[in-house]
Amino acid sequence: MSISKLLVANRGEIAARVLRTARAIGIKTAVLRHPAEVDTPAHAIADEVLTINGPTPVAAYLDIEQITQVATRIGADAVHPGYGFLAENAAFVKALDAAGIIFVGPTEDVIDLMGDKIRARNFVEERGFPVAPSAIEDDNPADFVERARAVGYPLLIKPSAGGGGKGMHIVREDSQLETGIETARREGERYFGDGRLFVERYIEDPRHIEVQVMGDGQGNVVHFWERECSIQRRFQKILEETPSPALSPEQRDEICESAAGIARAVNYRGAGTVEFIYAADGGFYFLEMNTRLQVEHPVTEMVTGFDLVAEQLRIAAGEELGLQQGDIGQTGHSIELRICAEDSDADFRPAIGDILLMDEPTGPGVRVDSGILDGGSVTTDFDPMLSKLIVHGRNRNEAIARARRAAQDYVILGVTTNLGYLDAILAHPKFQSGDISTGFLAEEADALKHEPDAATQDILMAATALSDATLVQAVENVPEIYRMMGAWRN
Amino acid sequence: MRRILEINGEETPIWLASTGQTHVLHLGEREIPCSFDPATGKGSYTLEIDGARIPLRVAVGEESTFVHLNGRAYEIGRTDPSQTLGETGGGLAQDQMVAPMPGVVVSVDVAAGDTVTEGQTLLVIESMKLETTIAAPRDGVVAEVPFATGDSFGGKEILLSLVPLEEAE
Repeated sequence: MSISKLLVANRGEIAARVLRTARAIGIKTAVLRHPAEVDTPAHAIADEVLTINGPTPVAAYLDIEQITQVATRIGADAVHPGYGFLAENAAFVKALDAAGIIFVGPTEDVIDLMGDKIRARNFVEERGFPVAPSAIEDDNPADFVERARAVGYPLLIKPSAGGGGKGMHIVREDSQLETGIETARREGERYFGDGRLFVERYIEDPRHIEVQVMGDGQGNVVHFWERECSIQRRFQKILEETPSPALSPEQRDEICESAAGIARAVNYRGAGTVEFIYAADGGFYFLEMNTRLQVEHPVTEMVTGFDLVAEQLRIAAGEELGLQQGDIGQTGHSIELRICAEDSDADFRPAIGDILLMDEPTGPGVRVDSGILDGGSVTTDFDPMLSKLIVHGRNRNEAIARARRAAQDYVILGVTTNLGYLDAILAHPKFQSGDISTGFLAEEADALKHEPDAATQDILMAATALSDATLVQAVENVPEIYRMMGAWRN
Repeated sequence: MRRILEINGEETPIWLASTGQTHVLHLGEREIPCSFDPATGKGSYTLEIDGARIPLRVAVGEESTFVHLNGRAYEIGRTDPSQTLGETGGGLAQDQMVAPMPGVVVSVDVAAGDTVTEGQTLLVIESMKLETTIAAPRDGVVAEVPFATGDSFGGKEILLSLVPLEEAE
């Protein structure tokens, strides 16, 4: 079994990134395009660009039947799903299977198991890996309060049917438990029409640490070390790094071995990520497993030297992993910044616009995975992430310095981006000392705001006036006598 | 010639003059001599201001100018104050009254469905501490009034629209 033609069922920076590797190893490539999309780097790299249709561009990228037909029609023997869209959709794997096309990823069963958060949690717990203590009302409603009490304080009450933080309550002492349960139940009924609850131990100031794993589905699994992703806004990561500044070498081995153990327990095939909540006391608990390549995989590539997409394609073609844990080192430090079209000073509101001028940073240890081209435009059709800036340094301080320099050199004009905000995070003393948690951006919101000072405002206004062709022309057309008057009128 | 520039929601009226040798930016009471020359690289310029030579990257958009300065991008909104209030939103039918700059609605004198005659007061707005009456540009029927008294609006927002002539009886 080998792959000679690959369809990338995705778009943006990840499509370009996967296509580059596929082309480099001699695989013919194809990518999709919805008629509403502008030119992107992926379209320039792929050997073939295939139009897909749908009521919205996103609907087209989620259309299993249409994408499977396209793959069949062009004779692709494999499909890489990237991340998002159909990357964790068991029905897509099934459809490709029926068409005799390889899905670059794990099996349908593993996607199903890990996609169900309660089943995944129980599976991991039964095999002896750490999960946050919790109690599910449905298991036995009669003694739910007793079991909730046994979880220990502080605890978090959540509606079983919930999402988006609605109906969630933190309870810090026993006297608040029963009223907390009643309030959460009323809210669950109101928001979701379902009053069933579950509780779990609430981790104060948690960090988000995850581990890259890779398996061949033939019993071999290794890990590619951890990534720390605690810098989040609206529960979404915007800056990731590896190694995590929080872990001692012993803790690092322990958390990475746990992740590899979980992957081994499902005989994992392909690239995956096991996510953990890491508590201030050093405890860590399984959160979920993502059965795909992650947005932040490049930091792992920078410190290990591996091309994870090349490994994915090798395994998808049926090869054995052929790697021992000892073959995978962690050299230096890497940071990724997610460049998003959004206004960080206005509650991260997505921004749109035309890219009037773009200049990407270069230099030692700098990598840009971009989904945009100069002259392109940013619409609300897709996710606001435009590109990723990844740096590598010999140590964390050098990586921070390189990330700052590269972020400052990265010119994107015409649409508001979070580049300045990301630079402010890198410059923050608490970030620099590694003292971060998932609450960092909310707690330091004021310190991360930027207002141009008076001298800067003068410069901006002068540049705006003098680059305004109509304004300058009008001034220059004024007859000499009035121009002289203008000089002494005030 | 004047402009109203907006940085971080704060508006500043400016005007530009020339001495023949250099330009002079008038910012309120202040007069700042400055000059602006292209440098190497797309959108690269050197701004000379207060004796300092400052390298920057500039891209001029339709309503805003984007400047990359000292490792950071800024957006500066540009408004031409001579652009009349209530200018049509495109087309000759004069169907939409568009706000040229952000402001507040002082009063709303008509409602959707009302028949209006040319010159009739439709609403009163305040922008840049200046009260302006928006009058009907033609006879017609009010289609929509998206704002109520006391509401704020942004630049380029539609303040009121009339039923297009071809749809009206």
